[in-house]
Amino acid sequence: MKSRMKSEISRRSFLRIAASAAALTGVTLPRAAQADPDGRLSTLIDLSLCDGCVDRKIPACVSACKSINKNKIPAVADPIPEPWPRKTIEDWSKKKSVTDRLTPYNFIYVQKVEINDGGSEKTVFIPRRCMHCDNPPCATICPFSANHKNKNSAVAINQNQCFGGAKCKDVCPWEIPQRQSGVGIYLHVLPGFMGNGVMYKCDLCNDRLEKGRLPGCIEACPRQALLIGPKKDIEEKAQRRATAMKGYIYGKEENGGTATLYVSPVPFEKLNAAMVKKPGQPDMQTIVKRRMKETDPLGKAVLASPVLGLAAAGLMGWFSKRKESLKEGKKDSV
Amino acid sequence: MSEKILAEKNLIVRHRTIELVEHWAIAISGLLLLVTGIFELPVAKRYYIINVPGLGWSADFITSLYIHYAAALVFTVAGIFHLVYHGFRGEAGLMPQKGDMAASVVVIKSLFGFGEEPPMHKYLPEQRLAYAGMVIIMIVLVVSGLVKTYKNIYAPDMSLPVVLTATWAHNIAFILFFLAFLAHMGAIALRPNWPMVRGIFTGRVRLDYARHRHSLWVDEIETAKSPVRELPAKETEDALQSPAVPEEAGPDSRMAEGRDTPADETKNQLTDDRGQNDAEKEKPT
Repeated sequence: MKSRMKSEISRRSFLRIAASAAALTGVTLPRAAQADPDGRLSTLIDLSLCDGCVDRKIPACVSACKSINKNKIPAVADPIPEPWPRKTIEDWSKKKSVTDRLTPYNFIYVQKVEINDGGSEKTVFIPRRCMHCDNPPCATICPFSANHKNKNSAVAINQNQCFGGAKCKDVCPWEIPQRQSGVGIYLHVLPGFMGNGVMYKCDLCNDRLEKGRLPGCIEACPRQALLIGPKKDIEEKAQRRATAMKGYIYGKEENGGTATLYVSPVPFEKLNAAMVKKPGQPDMQTIVKRRMKETDPLGKAVLASPVLGLAAAGLMGWFSKRKESLKEGKKDSV
Repeated sequence: MSEKILAEKNLIVRHRTIELVEHWAIAISGLLLLVTGIFELPVAKRYYIINVPGLGWSADFITSLYIHYAAALVFTVAGIFHLVYHGFRGEAGLMPQKGDMAASVVVIKSLFGFGEEPPMHKYLPEQRLAYAGMVIIMIVLVVSGLVKTYKNIYAPDMSLPVVLTATWAHNIAFILFFLAFLAHMGAIALRPNWPMVRGIFTGRVRLDYARHRHSLWVDEIETAKSPVRELPAKETEDALQSPAVPEEAGPDSRMAEGRDTPADETKNQLTDDRGQNDAEKEKPT
């Protein structure tokens, strides 16, 4: 009810808010995206433009993201309840300033990759965050639906419903969501036996999107290496740029398609080969299959199962009636 | 093979083959759904289930989903078949009747040695109530499961209120299904119910057991020579008030008045039954 109301308010006042925001900040979503607040969005990350903000202590996108989300995580329980029987606790509350990897307090980081491209050494900077997959396993498989894919493409975790089981991280090909133990609803249920905190990741600044504003990282990028817009437009733009630079696209097919398209003048095989996958620092495998797709045929059979049950019952009912009438016919003839 | 008395074998046919198939299809798929449903929670790693030989796959949510879907297919087909097929045939012996709640209390008390059981039909009153409860739980599981499956395949951005309703309905029904399963197993563990167990494997139960516990059912088969006719509520209530032997039932179906244990009573009945039934041939109904 609340979310419906919120959605209606959002729709009604979307253009008004967007116009006000434009006047105030001068930075809003492209008009085409504003025209349809429920339309699917996509983002573009142009690696030929990103320089990693080498002149800054923290890249602008990372800094903006941290600033927007600085109060997101509530105070962490002290002491954090020890989970049983596996005693894994993940506590980043004393390392909030970490910016060179994904953490519950850092939803985007810039990966620096050194490669040899045609005999010359090159440094490529790659902003890494949630890809916002078209059919995200992290959201569809969440046992409490705390993680949800919104109409606008943002995949967002509701921290008030998440138990921190890290299932979303297990099924994410890039292991994006990060856990903070000692916060969340599990503390009020059975903290020793069930749940272990809350999972955190980029939500594409969904609250800002609903108000017609740009995600913080996109708004802050000084080189406009990050863009957002209607999915179709962004896909066309990514294709044009890739063609122009004789480059490559990542994210269009991976994991069944995503709302994040990287455009790079360097092949992603080469970038991935130069990456060292570490916790919170995902690689960029170029073949990323959506594993849940393998279960789709069986799932479709499940959707058809009520009809199968009805058909079997009808058929069996007809057979048994026929058998009974034949029996009665025999009796009568005797 | 429909309900009939096989007197020379001291057996009575309680379930047809189709009913056995339905029961076991739902039971086995339901059990698989329970297990893989639990594995869809992130418990396998935490509780070291993956270290149990043969359960290394238990932390792979996609493998669990495969099995969950396969079991859901059988579960839904069997469940819908059961409701529609038997509904179509007007077989309502398991539907709750007026007075079942009070009768269940009497029966359950008698299982623990307080008071005596009233004469009963083919199904016990608490079986009928449990059946209705299980049907409701299964309907919630199936409907919410179908919504979740549709979301997984076609609509990952389905309306959040719909997704949350389906998810929590599924989760709550899952807990109730698990409790119902435990209660079902608990009922089997009670000694007076043991003779019924063979019925769900072979379709037949001992005639002497049926005579002393399901006398109303046996009477109906013997007198009407037709499948079970449920007594009107008034008759059931009367039976509860006065657990006396129905006149037409004869001495063999008498309730175990003053018996020491159900087993002793069954033994006595068995002796009597054989005496009387020796001359009887198989009695189709």
